[in-house]
Amino acid sequence: MTDKPRSPAGSSADQPEPASEHGMSRRQLLRHAGWFGSAVVLTVAGGEVISHIAHDQDSAAAAAVAADANALRFVQVSDSHIGFDGPANTDVTGSFSEALEQINTLGFRPDFVMHTGDLTHLSTPAQFDQVQQMLGGVRTGRVFTVPGEHDSVGDAGRAYRQRFGAGTSGDGWYSFDTHGVHFIALVNTLSLEKLGHLGADQIDFVRRDVAGLKPDTPIVVFSHIPLFAMYPEWGWSTDDALQVLALLKRFASVTCLNGHVHQLFSRTEGNVTFHSATTTAYPLPAPGHGPAPTPQVLPAGQLKSALGIRSVTYRQGTAALALTDERLA
Amino acid sequence: MKTASARTIALRTALAATLAASGYIHAQLYITGYRYIHVIGVMFLLQASASFAIAALLLIGDPPLIRLAAAGAAGGALTGFAASRTTGVFGFVERGLQPSPQSLQSILVETATLLLLAPALIRTLRRLRASRRQDLSGPRRSSGRWASRPR
Amino acid sequence: MNLPVHRRASRMLKPAVLGLTGLGAAMLLAACGSPAHPVAQQTALSAGAGQSLAGTPGSTATGPLATPSAMPGMTMSAPAGGGSTTSAPAAAVGGDTVAIKGFAFAPANLVVKAGTTVTWTNQDTDAHTVTSQGNAGPLASAALTRGQTYAYTFTTPGTYAYLCTIHPFMTATVTVTK
Repeated sequence: MTDKPRSPAGSSADQPEPASEHGMSRRQLLRHAGWFGSAVVLTVAGGEVISHIAHDQDSAAAAAVAADANALRFVQVSDSHIGFDGPANTDVTGSFSEALEQINTLGFRPDFVMHTGDLTHLSTPAQFDQVQQMLGGVRTGRVFTVPGEHDSVGDAGRAYRQRFGAGTSGDGWYSFDTHGVHFIALVNTLSLEKLGHLGADQIDFVRRDVAGLKPDTPIVVFSHIPLFAMYPEWGWSTDDALQVLALLKRFASVTCLNGHVHQLFSRTEGNVTFHSATTTAYPLPAPGHGPAPTPQVLPAGQLKSALGIRSVTYRQGTAALALTDERLA
Repeated sequence: MKTASARTIALRTALAATLAASGYIHAQLYITGYRYIHVIGVMFLLQASASFAIAALLLIGDPPLIRLAAAGAAGGALTGFAASRTTGVFGFVERGLQPSPQSLQSILVETATLLLLAPALIRTLRRLRASRRQDLSGPRRSSGRWASRPR
Repeated sequence: MNLPVHRRASRMLKPAVLGLTGLGAAMLLAACGSPAHPVAQQTALSAGAGQSLAGTPGSTATGPLATPSAMPGMTMSAPAGGGSTTSAPAAAVGGDTVAIKGFAFAPANLVVKAGTTVTWTNQDTDAHTVTSQGNAGPLASAALTRGQTYAYTFTTPGTYAYLCTIHPFMTATVTVTK
């Protein structure tokens, strides 16, 4: 379609069409443009219709959830890294504060907020003070946390557990129930080698914890490091996670929500869906892009689009949890 | 294409049906959750709306451009499926024939689209080659070098 | 396709498209039926069997969120444990040295004689630690910020595997010979 018209317009009207790449009459060009234009216009129109239907579904679902006192709504935030200071984000406190403000203006009061680890950057008392104070300002039923490796720097998580460990077992793991969903919060950042590690005690805890549950109970598992092999070369995996996932095989719906990797990422393996959350601090490269998972400096003004929060809704009778990842506004 | 025989009309209708089916599966997956997945959501929406658009146009006619677009929509979806099971697509990975049964259905209708298109595409290619030969052996560009090219 | 056909085509185009789009939309809407009625269930938070409820209560305030005060004096706490840390940049006091640079230990496999003091210096802007793998060995630095160093004297021959607990993909070894 690159050649210039070789014959005067109209001369080929009743002749066999020459192959298009050997030149094109004006009429042929117009006809091509017409087909192409129609395709584009129809595609855009179709896209509008589909997204409109999706939007209506959303509003209908949102209205149903709002009207449904039994619907579960919670928020996941992750990797606030309070205390980090670098060119990738010179104001992590400000970013985290914005994220919390976004939770407070969601239009509903979440049943709980879960921070999936790396609350602080270096586990100092001042950083823990700061993050604890900030999380206390979130309007929600309850604030839960799991530790990241940045929350157990040098002390195997003792300082973390002093502040956030009330009601937890072992090294800080626990479970809870609400709206018919069973939630398990795991700690896989303490005795880590290269990969995340749960340990025999914690796996035993899960075994006992789910023993009495019916197979149709939806299960949600929180951890800091992914429980799936997202990118083991960078430590983005948990070496003994399969033992826990084997214990959850008999359940119809298992959703694993993690942080650590500072980016959205989803994977489905059988009955289990994994969703990595983004951060409120600074982005990391996509798996394998670059020599190491180092903080990424984005062009001015683009940082906020890499940061965000995740809200999750669940209504009994629906197939799965609905996740909505929002960028920082 | 001047007089569309019953056979070509049947073929075009079948093509439109398989494309619309592929678009429908992608639209449904988009609405029920894939739109929440970064980048992938937009690609599902694009595949769905483009498939519907091309299906509509196929009811009217099937110039090479539209046939090519049809092959693109079906082939693109298949490529995306293969990539998401192997290398990942923008960080998105799925395993096996999940979601079920949509993934298998979509593979089948997209393969059908490509199979229905294959004869026409081959014919177009052959016609292009033929006209090029004709063109090359014509007076304007004939030269010993090109004329001696094996058929 | 000649001109009259084309004109006829464009006349057909609109209704055909509208019909198809409408059909698709109707099918999509029909497919997305309303989910089953929820049954009565417990909506409060409760701890798992045999546990007390973890977490902390959220805020009940209804006004705007108070902006938290700025971090009070973000300074590194003094290191705990057997190593010694100085803030002086890379003042390697004899012995062998390991640079922590670009999220890696260099050299990754150091060989020294027993009695050697090895010094690690963090040259990255991000913090790192020097920690024996499995928390079982002698290396246990605090988080080293840029320019900080950690030193350890190896007395017993053997291979010491260590990592940065903040970035566990950073691994290296020190081999101590007699």
